[in-house]
Amino acid sequence: MSSPTPTITINGVRRPFSPGQTILQVANAAGVEVPQYCYHDGLSVVASCRICLCEVWSPNPRTGALEPFMGGKLVPSCQQTASDGMVVHTDSPKAVANQKAVMEYLLINHPLDCPVCDQSGECFLQDYSYQYGRGVSRFQEEKVKQPKKDLGNHVLLYSDRCIMCTRCVRFTREVTGTGELMVMGRGNKEEIDVFPGIPINNELSGNVIDLCPVGALLDKDFLFQQRVWYLKETPSIDPITASGDNIWIHHNEGKIHRVKPRENPRVNKWWITDEVRYGWKFVHSADRLGAPARKQYGYPAQSDFPRAYEIAVAGLRRAVEDGGRVALLASPMIACEEAYLLAQVVREIDREAVLAVGPVPVKGSDRVYPPGASEDDPRAFKVHAEKAPNARGVRRVLEALAGPGQVLDFEAFLRAMGKGTGSSGVRAALVTGNYPSAWTTPELLGCLGGKFIVAIDTLAGPHVDAADISLPAATFAEKSGTFENARGMIQSFERALTAFEGARPEGQIAFDLLHLIACGGEYERAGATRPEVYDAADIRSRMAAEHETLGVFASAVGHPAPRPQARPDMRLVEI
Amino acid sequence: MNKSASQLGSRKAGKESSRGTPARDAPIGNGPRLARVRISVSRPRLSHGTLETRKKHRGARRVRLIPDARKARPTLGTAMSYTLKAGQPILTKRIPCWPFADPKGRHVVSYDEYVRSGGYEGLRKALSMKPDSVTEEVKKSVLRGRGGAGFPTGLKWTFLPKLTTDESGVEADPGARYLAINADESEPGTFKDRLLMDFDPHLVLEGIAICCYACRIRTAFIFIRGEYHHQAHVLETAIKEAYENGIFGGKGLLGGTATGRGGPFAVECHVHRGAGAYICGEETALLEALEGKRGWPRIKPPFPAIKGLFGRPTIINNVETVAHLPSIVEHGSEWFTRQGVASTFPNGMASYGTKLMGVSGHVNRPGCYECDLGIPLRTLVEEHCQGMRGGKKFKGAIAGGISMGILGPDQYEAEMDFDIGRKHNVLGLGTACPTVFDQDTDMVAVARNIARFFKHESCGQCTPCREGSGWLYQLLGRIEEGHGRTKDLDLTLEIATSMGSMPGTTICGLADGNNWAVRTIINKYRAEFEARVRPTFVPIRMTVGAMAKG
Repeated sequence: MSSPTPTITINGVRRPFSPGQTILQVANAAGVEVPQYCYHDGLSVVASCRICLCEVWSPNPRTGALEPFMGGKLVPSCQQTASDGMVVHTDSPKAVANQKAVMEYLLINHPLDCPVCDQSGECFLQDYSYQYGRGVSRFQEEKVKQPKKDLGNHVLLYSDRCIMCTRCVRFTREVTGTGELMVMGRGNKEEIDVFPGIPINNELSGNVIDLCPVGALLDKDFLFQQRVWYLKETPSIDPITASGDNIWIHHNEGKIHRVKPRENPRVNKWWITDEVRYGWKFVHSADRLGAPARKQYGYPAQSDFPRAYEIAVAGLRRAVEDGGRVALLASPMIACEEAYLLAQVVREIDREAVLAVGPVPVKGSDRVYPPGASEDDPRAFKVHAEKAPNARGVRRVLEALAGPGQVLDFEAFLRAMGKGTGSSGVRAALVTGNYPSAWTTPELLGCLGGKFIVAIDTLAGPHVDAADISLPAATFAEKSGTFENARGMIQSFERALTAFEGARPEGQIAFDLLHLIACGGEYERAGATRPEVYDAADIRSRMAAEHETLGVFASAVGHPAPRPQARPDMRLVEI
Repeated sequence: MNKSASQLGSRKAGKESSRGTPARDAPIGNGPRLARVRISVSRPRLSHGTLETRKKHRGARRVRLIPDARKARPTLGTAMSYTLKAGQPILTKRIPCWPFADPKGRHVVSYDEYVRSGGYEGLRKALSMKPDSVTEEVKKSVLRGRGGAGFPTGLKWTFLPKLTTDESGVEADPGARYLAINADESEPGTFKDRLLMDFDPHLVLEGIAICCYACRIRTAFIFIRGEYHHQAHVLETAIKEAYENGIFGGKGLLGGTATGRGGPFAVECHVHRGAGAYICGEETALLEALEGKRGWPRIKPPFPAIKGLFGRPTIINNVETVAHLPSIVEHGSEWFTRQGVASTFPNGMASYGTKLMGVSGHVNRPGCYECDLGIPLRTLVEEHCQGMRGGKKFKGAIAGGISMGILGPDQYEAEMDFDIGRKHNVLGLGTACPTVFDQDTDMVAVARNIARFFKHESCGQCTPCREGSGWLYQLLGRIEEGHGRTKDLDLTLEIATSMGSMPGTTICGLADGNNWAVRTIINKYRAEFEARVRPTFVPIRMTVGAMAKG
């Protein structure tokens, strides 16, 4: 008698499954822990680590009585598809004996260098050794010693730590299609290696480091930087490209130490490009702006926020009073909420302010991995040529305010600025940046001359020096918000770090300016009122309420999935 | 230290034993035609022995050199009490083998000679039948795979996807299907396929043609072991001859003969040389290697008959298995089942037919013999091989290839058929090429040497085999050197028992081979191992006086 939805019983609990799922997939989805090394959702199944073996009983199709499956052999749960009525034991004496044996085998040639290993603390070998291994080693023989190898720009291989799960080899063959990695040698002497003279330098090479369940493949960038148990992780979104890859920011004491992919089957699957992985460096750049500045005698001089705000509001107002227009150049690097607030600032001063989207960098053309795969292939990974995370989101927000077709692109903005000498031309502009590297172009610099410019940016540059007021902004890691990626998916990200020195998120700067405008432009009149505090979630609901076209910000934002709670090692004991 | 086991893994053992006699009788040097001969049949022949045994029998090595000594050779088969049930050799019909003929007369059988001596008649008969009736005939003959596992060949063929026929009885096109002939004979002590490929390649080719026709396969690959340079060359020459004479090629089998299926049936045949890995003899690793990949066994299911080479249905048969096909088709399955023996177990599968048995080790006349299945090991050694070398006592024998485990001193009477595994606590018959040990053999060294082989040949895919085989070797090495303790012996047994595809912990059977070989040796010669190890002292805390309880 079979129930309408097929079920299997894992360790005594019935679990429903969809046909085609393997036992391990059912267990993983149900949160039943089955040890696994070589299995990865995004790669083919090789069933070579042999630790996920379990004891399976299946009903005899004729009598319905339970019988040992495959003649009572242990069955690799990663390979065996589930069938209705199966009874699976991962904790039976036979399965446990195998787990113990495999752990022992894996450890006999594994060096005991956890104290200096970067993987230590997030190492499958450590975790499973603790849960499934035996306490002492019975191995008295000599260990196989293997070399350390430099495999590419980002990847180091400590061969002796390798457990030969071949996830990395399968990744280069199945996902990138570049096939740089291979298995060399045989038996316990075999090693992962690259072919002579062909290092692993593909765009996705960093993922093999994440895939490695042990400390064999290491990140040169993260080597000996930080013990992983000190790292805090914050979900975020790729701040460099239009792909909207989901990432974890791993940081400690106000410093980012690395970026890891966050699984999202609809966007980046399990992978990110090296560009995104190492693209956070500008957050800690020596060129970061740390304090507001105003132009004095033609040179920027350090100032403070109240003074800079007052000058900025006064300057913008004067431009309108003189019959000119105010423009906003909203960079595609800032969050949707911030673009919305900044646009409100300029529209508060000038109802018909010119709204424009900043330059959208494009590098090369879009690429799909593995080469030749179609974009719709569920396994394909797309690398976007567009190197800005939020060009669509900023445009969507500005268009909701100014009307469709009223938002200028960068070229049109330059033209509008260029003819701005007339009475109705642009006399003042709010320019935002937040690009990961210097972005000032001679054309931009040329059209800024003779106008009142408020620059809000993260990195120093010629246009910041040329601005009348410059305000230090916060990078993606120092604020929350939403980005809309190339496929129109709006995803939120969270704040990981406190802002650098005196920097403030663009959204906060906008709130401060709005507050000052409401007070008449002088802090003396502000009295006891305080500016609102920038909170992305609040602004999203306000945007959705105020503009029908921005309803998506209430309904269709992808939030980071809650991180499954780690099971504590210790039991609470009443003292 | 007795190194007699070191010959186990060495390829020389096999080489000498199959070619032994002619090579030994060849003239020495360029001088007068002198030849070394054995003076009397009872004298031990020292084809290969250890340093020590050689020293011991130095007297026996002294040979008299007489001009043109071949005349002094004793007549063949005079003392034979054992004859083949078929009356004459079947596989070695054209290959002179002891005890029916002097191997000195061996030569490569050319196409013309093969046809003259009744070759390709089986194929002709097969083509006149329907493919399914050929399969049926093979199924009825209960021909069991000669590669080691003994799986019924006819049954294996029926696992291929069924072909549909339209109203007029014409079969649907099966698409690409492949036949892979497993000629990767790398098991130490096994040299039976080599004999066929060395001297009678057309017998193999005829079998391939019959199998391809029966299974509607248009492409056959012979995957030959990398070290078989000469055999690959012989096969390639034979295939060339076969193409020239229209056996294979575009026109169809046998020059485009009309078949029972309707119209000619064309088959292409290729030789693919391995790169020298034991594991490529495992059928799915063989397919990987044929595809040009690293020889790593695949996970099953899907089985090769459903999804094999290049993702297409594939049949994998041993060289000796297909060499049986021509005679089965020609003489019928009933004739075949008259040879060999039925199973002694109720409802057990029979072991019909003859089998090539390559005997190596401490026997007087090592070599490849064709015998009916079911021949007792004693008969094989005492009569075919003319007894143990130096008249020593039989100590044990590896049943058929080292992965099958060992037959102990009390199992000299073991019958060499497919029931041997169940009867005598070994893995199975394997390739039926026994390696025989005499009383002087150090079984610890044998175990260590076997473990060394498996450690070296483990492909490294599954954790238990990759790490366990190395550990076993190190443990046994330590025990052999006398640095082991009793607990090491137990640990060795534990490791051996926990790995292999039979408990399910590995993908392929290589670890099983390691496990069975080491485990049976330790179990059957435990005393010898225990004599080598020092006892493990277990500290016992004793309480005396007032503290003692009870």
